[in-house]
Amino acid sequence: MAPPPPATAVGDAMTPLPVPRDSRANIDIMAVTKGFHWPWFIALVLVLIGVAQAGLTLAYQTYWGFGVAGYQAPVFWGLYIVTFVFWIGIGHAGTLISAILFLFRAKWRNAVNRGAEALTVFAVLTAVLFPVLHLGRLWKLYYLLPYPNQRGLWVNFKSPLLWDVFAINTYMLISIVFFYIGLIPDIAMARDRATGVKKVVYTVLALGWQGTGVQWKAHSRAVLHLSGLATPLVLSVHSVVSWDFAMSVVPGWHATIFAPYFVAGAVFGGFAMVIVVLIPVRRIFKLERYLTDYHFENMSRFILLTSTICGYAYAMEYFIAWYSGVEAEQTSFWLRLFGPYWFSTWCMITFNVFFPQLLWIKRLRTNLPFLFVLCFFINLGMWFERYVIIITSLSREFITGAWGLYIVSPVELSILVGSFCWFSMWFLLFLKAFPVIAISEVKELIIHEKEHGGAH
Amino acid sequence: MSELDRRDFLKLVGVGAGATAAACADPAEKLVPYVVQPESITPGIAVEYASTCMECPVGCGLHVKTREGRPIKLEGNPEHPINRGRLCTRGQASIGRAYHPDRYPSPMQQGAGGSLESVDRETAHAAVLSKLKSGGGGVWILGGPVGPTLGSVIDGFAEASGARRVVYEAFSHDALREGTRLALGVNTLPILDVGQADVIVDLGSDFLDTGLSPTENARQFAEARDIKSHSGGGTRLISVVPRLDLTTTNGDQWIPARAGSQGEIALALLGAVVAKRGVPEGVDAAAVSALTGQSSLAQAAKSADVPQSDLEALVEKLLEAKHALVLPPGVAYSASNATATAATVMMLNAVLGAVGTSVIIPPESSAPAPASMAQLQELLAAMRGGQVSVLLIHDSDPVHSLPGFAQALEHVGTVVSFASMQNGTSERADFVLPDHSNMESWGDAAPRPGIRTLVQPTLRPLLDTQATGDTLLDLGRGLGGNMPEGSFVQVLQAAWSDTDWDAALGRGGVFSDGAESPVTVGSGLSEIQFQPAQFSGTGDHVLVAFPHSFLGDGQGAALPWLQEIPDPVTKIAWNSWLEMSFATADALGVGFGDVVKVETPEGSLNVSAFPRGGIRDDAVAIPVGQGHNVGYYASMANDGGPGETRGVNVMDVLPSSPDASGSRVWLANNALMERTGEFRRLALSQWTDNQRGRGLAQAVTLAEASGHGDDHGDGHGGGHHEGPPHTFDPAYDTEPGQPYRWGMSIDIDRCDGCSACVAACYIENNVPIVGETQSIQHRDMSWLRIERYVGEGDNQGGLERRPIPDREKLGEVDVRHLPMACQHCGAAPCEGVCPTLATYHNIEGMNGMVYNRCAGTRYCANNCSYKVRRFNYWDYGNRNFPGMLGLLLNPDVTVRQQGVMEKCSLCVQRIETARQPAKNEGRSIRDGEIQSACQQSCPTDAITFGNWRDNDGKLRQTADDPNRSYSVLQYLNTRPAITYLAQVERDDHEGSH
Repeated sequence: MAPPPPATAVGDAMTPLPVPRDSRANIDIMAVTKGFHWPWFIALVLVLIGVAQAGLTLAYQTYWGFGVAGYQAPVFWGLYIVTFVFWIGIGHAGTLISAILFLFRAKWRNAVNRGAEALTVFAVLTAVLFPVLHLGRLWKLYYLLPYPNQRGLWVNFKSPLLWDVFAINTYMLISIVFFYIGLIPDIAMARDRATGVKKVVYTVLALGWQGTGVQWKAHSRAVLHLSGLATPLVLSVHSVVSWDFAMSVVPGWHATIFAPYFVAGAVFGGFAMVIVVLIPVRRIFKLERYLTDYHFENMSRFILLTSTICGYAYAMEYFIAWYSGVEAEQTSFWLRLFGPYWFSTWCMITFNVFFPQLLWIKRLRTNLPFLFVLCFFINLGMWFERYVIIITSLSREFITGAWGLYIVSPVELSILVGSFCWFSMWFLLFLKAFPVIAISEVKELIIHEKEHGGAH
Repeated sequence: MSELDRRDFLKLVGVGAGATAAACADPAEKLVPYVVQPESITPGIAVEYASTCMECPVGCGLHVKTREGRPIKLEGNPEHPINRGRLCTRGQASIGRAYHPDRYPSPMQQGAGGSLESVDRETAHAAVLSKLKSGGGGVWILGGPVGPTLGSVIDGFAEASGARRVVYEAFSHDALREGTRLALGVNTLPILDVGQADVIVDLGSDFLDTGLSPTENARQFAEARDIKSHSGGGTRLISVVPRLDLTTTNGDQWIPARAGSQGEIALALLGAVVAKRGVPEGVDAAAVSALTGQSSLAQAAKSADVPQSDLEALVEKLLEAKHALVLPPGVAYSASNATATAATVMMLNAVLGAVGTSVIIPPESSAPAPASMAQLQELLAAMRGGQVSVLLIHDSDPVHSLPGFAQALEHVGTVVSFASMQNGTSERADFVLPDHSNMESWGDAAPRPGIRTLVQPTLRPLLDTQATGDTLLDLGRGLGGNMPEGSFVQVLQAAWSDTDWDAALGRGGVFSDGAESPVTVGSGLSEIQFQPAQFSGTGDHVLVAFPHSFLGDGQGAALPWLQEIPDPVTKIAWNSWLEMSFATADALGVGFGDVVKVETPEGSLNVSAFPRGGIRDDAVAIPVGQGHNVGYYASMANDGGPGETRGVNVMDVLPSSPDASGSRVWLANNALMERTGEFRRLALSQWTDNQRGRGLAQAVTLAEASGHGDDHGDGHGGGHHEGPPHTFDPAYDTEPGQPYRWGMSIDIDRCDGCSACVAACYIENNVPIVGETQSIQHRDMSWLRIERYVGEGDNQGGLERRPIPDREKLGEVDVRHLPMACQHCGAAPCEGVCPTLATYHNIEGMNGMVYNRCAGTRYCANNCSYKVRRFNYWDYGNRNFPGMLGLLLNPDVTVRQQGVMEKCSLCVQRIETARQPAKNEGRSIRDGEIQSACQQSCPTDAITFGNWRDNDGKLRQTADDPNRSYSVLQYLNTRPAITYLAQVERDDHEGSH
């Protein structure tokens, strides 16, 4: 903190007070949004190219039909749904951090919650693209919405896909609101320091925030209530997504463990993504003071916990398949391990269960290069997990005579790359638009530490 | 300039928005009613006309279903005694010839550029006439078998032009004809009534698939084995062939004899049977013993490489049987002793008493018989010698199907083709005077004594074509010949003047019992010099060139359905393959799809390998029929474009020399094989034939079928049956009070896998053809497929990316053909998961599909336990009916858009067609009033469609069989409306297990 102003002479009382220097947190964190960072710019150009090429691919696929992609019977869902589930999973860390950890008063979350919430919003914005672009006739997307119409057409509330529509939309809405409410004090702070067009935009977005007691009271109540609302969502969204599979009769999908298994996997993958994103952000924008080893260690512990849950779920899946005595289930799981897609299965198990066990070692939990690599592999492993669940199960179902294969085509790969670019594009823009760390909450934490036997 | 006021602005915005919205919508199309409605046509009501199928020489009767003046579907004529309302795959597909993109639009003449160019008819006729006039004695007319009236016109023309007429048929069965003459004294092809026999020994005739009359014989066979009327299981079939063909898969025993040993086996059987039973009265016993000579079962067993005990048991069975029948080798196994073998077999049948019961010998026909190979060699020699100045070719493609013809054709002065569609021969012609398609033609047929049928046009000629009969009449008159008066149809009417024309036209012809010819058994025995089959070439493997189930002599290759529907035995579509045993494949170091060079003394070809268990180690096999480089569907390998040869023409590596009696030889070469290192994936529609004990295609023992069996079987030969399926009753999966719950029962004991139902379904329901590359990707759109499993299966294997069929074993025949279409489940997995209710349960319990409502999430297809849903990956509906093929579309069935799901509708359009009259008459729909397309076509009556709620209906009567009825995947409790009747293992042989 700035040193206290020196004692003033009487005559000095007539001169205006010097403009107080801004707080260090404000300066450090707002620095991210100011100035020009080459890595940021190059990244943005690259991801924009990635998004553009995916857009062209999508137009191509929409015009010609799914024939251009690698889809072939009996695997009717391919990379799009794999990637959809992947992104929905990524979105889970944010809500978990902002809602559940908020309710548990886990203080360390304050430094990472903004980034995690942003990840959530952008991951959901990415995920929602996939159910749309995987439609055979995406121009008929509105058929999936229950809107009143003269023809008396209605949707099928029995279908897990419809539950998905609601679950994902709800989740998207809540995530955005949560994200935005948390941003308001920081936007107001940014508004006070901005000029020109930025000032106008921030002024509108800040909704007249003055930092008065009444506003702060309303704000914290809103956050509290939203946390309460969002908490069940953390569990429900991925449960509903898992029911897309669990509600079917497909061997390998039809399992009661799917909801908790997917939620644990989502939190696991979500935290891994937060780490993968925040480590470079911390380094490039020099935020070591706010994103400390302590934060990463805490997240590592979460990863270790959820990895273990995933490992348990994998083991249970195999056990139940064997124990069920149903040959189709047994075969489906046997072929996961040793069949045509063995590679993806072993990637999944190695990256998601074996590698994270290294986090039992404390030194590794704070070794950021190691964490970065590990979490990268975890993300890969989580993507493969969905690949295994969807592709291997569909390719080997009940009717052995209808067994088939799915071979990824350049079209799906283009869209897959595009989705990462789309996600990154939002995140990069976010970095320059809003503080990547919740300044108001960090300050709260600093004051808190001071009052309760902190640094002094 | 007037000011734009607020109201105008709003109007403009409105118009703009409307236009934008309209531009996004599907394009509007107009329905144009008749201005003057033809008397016989009621829009929306189908009219059927009787006609005759000309796809092969069997001559089945047709009902051509037309809508608004165009034929849309062929069905069998129920009055016709040969096919009795049924129609085979080839017959179903033959309607495509009317609308085919390969059709010649007008008369053509070879242009300066070396390709055919359009020319007007007068010019073409004048040019051909001048060639004919200057042709001298060198005019020949060559063509496939035609009806008697067209035949008489051809004969008249031949007389006028001094032409020599040669009837050419690739699968002429000339050895059998000659063998019948030698053994029974009548120069004719026998008519087989296989249902009369209780033991059939098939020496390779493949009579259920590619034999003399497959549709008829399949029906007879199924009826003779009907388990309800034959508690003992009925007729038994024992095949003695080197490879598992479709007939063998339907039999009870397979003696995997070496290719080419059939003659020696026949001879040994004859010797053994005669030794036990003596010769019939009036037969020269010395001649018989001279023929059987030194042959013995031991020698035959050694030659055939099978246990002698198998042949001894075979003799026992023949002697024990009340009516035994031995079938001579068909095209595939016509070796260098084909005629002698056929004669021996016919002699054996005479000794066994089959002649007159299951082998009917019709009187010799007055129509010219197809030329024997020896006669064809004469023609080829004349051609090569430049003695043929004008060659007229109709109804055949000898360039493809006759070795040596293409080279000989180069020495012919003028070639005139009457082909309606492009083929290898017509493309080399100097003139093409295209014929009408069968749908546009008049004609007649007399396939056997007592049956005379008419062909009548049901479509106004679409193109500038002329019936070959009329063309020949014109040309004959131009030559000043004594041709009959009037047009061809008047000639036809004159020829039919002894009958009631209108009645005959209405019924399709006149049908009466045919006369039989007296036979003189053994009259020509002394002419037979029996020699073991000779093979040339250096390889260790006999090359078997077998007729493809659908492609015939190659002319079927033009029809897309025949290409796309997988071969019933191997499940390969769209190309040629080389069958070899796994041992052979290992020795060559090749796997599925690896290209192998096959070399014989006549030449070599490169073809993809297909290793399988059901073929001997010393044989390899290639189907006949592919290898075209002309035609939209026939060529276009890899869907690359016309002109690229699809598959290989195995006839290129077969000899053209006839056997000792002048008959055509198909089995004469050993093949030398070599791995090329190339790989060419085959469109294999079904990978594994292992059902992993899942009970998809179930079987019961004979004892269980009649209700006396141990419920759990004896672990041998099937015995896997989950018991009566109806823990639920399919009748209850409707809304309460509904009179109907539609469904089917499929008897897999009757199903022989012929795939006629699949073809019928394609045509009835506008199912698009997707082509080879898409078929390789399993994107075929068939609503109905026939799965093929071997035995109960086990939980081994399946680890490969593409498991290829591997449960076949030499000598094992437990093959089960399982027709699989939408099961119309009572608790359908697909319905619950569709977010838009595009697939839904209708009030009559059917699983409906609203294409317009489908957004294409494809969840239904994932969740379908039976994997019967098809997705429109491309805009098949618009793109895959090229040219005039769109006219074939059934107007009662929606053509599906890109991105929507589709599947079997239980021919809901047929249900609705029956519902209206029933409603008008205030009654319910009668049992049997509706036939689904698949049921209608099925030669063996394996499919029964009906109403589960009608307790007296045929469906209930058929399906409620507690011993055999089951539902596929019953434990999923999807409650299908399609139940199956298990196959019966008539497992009473002590043979080769």
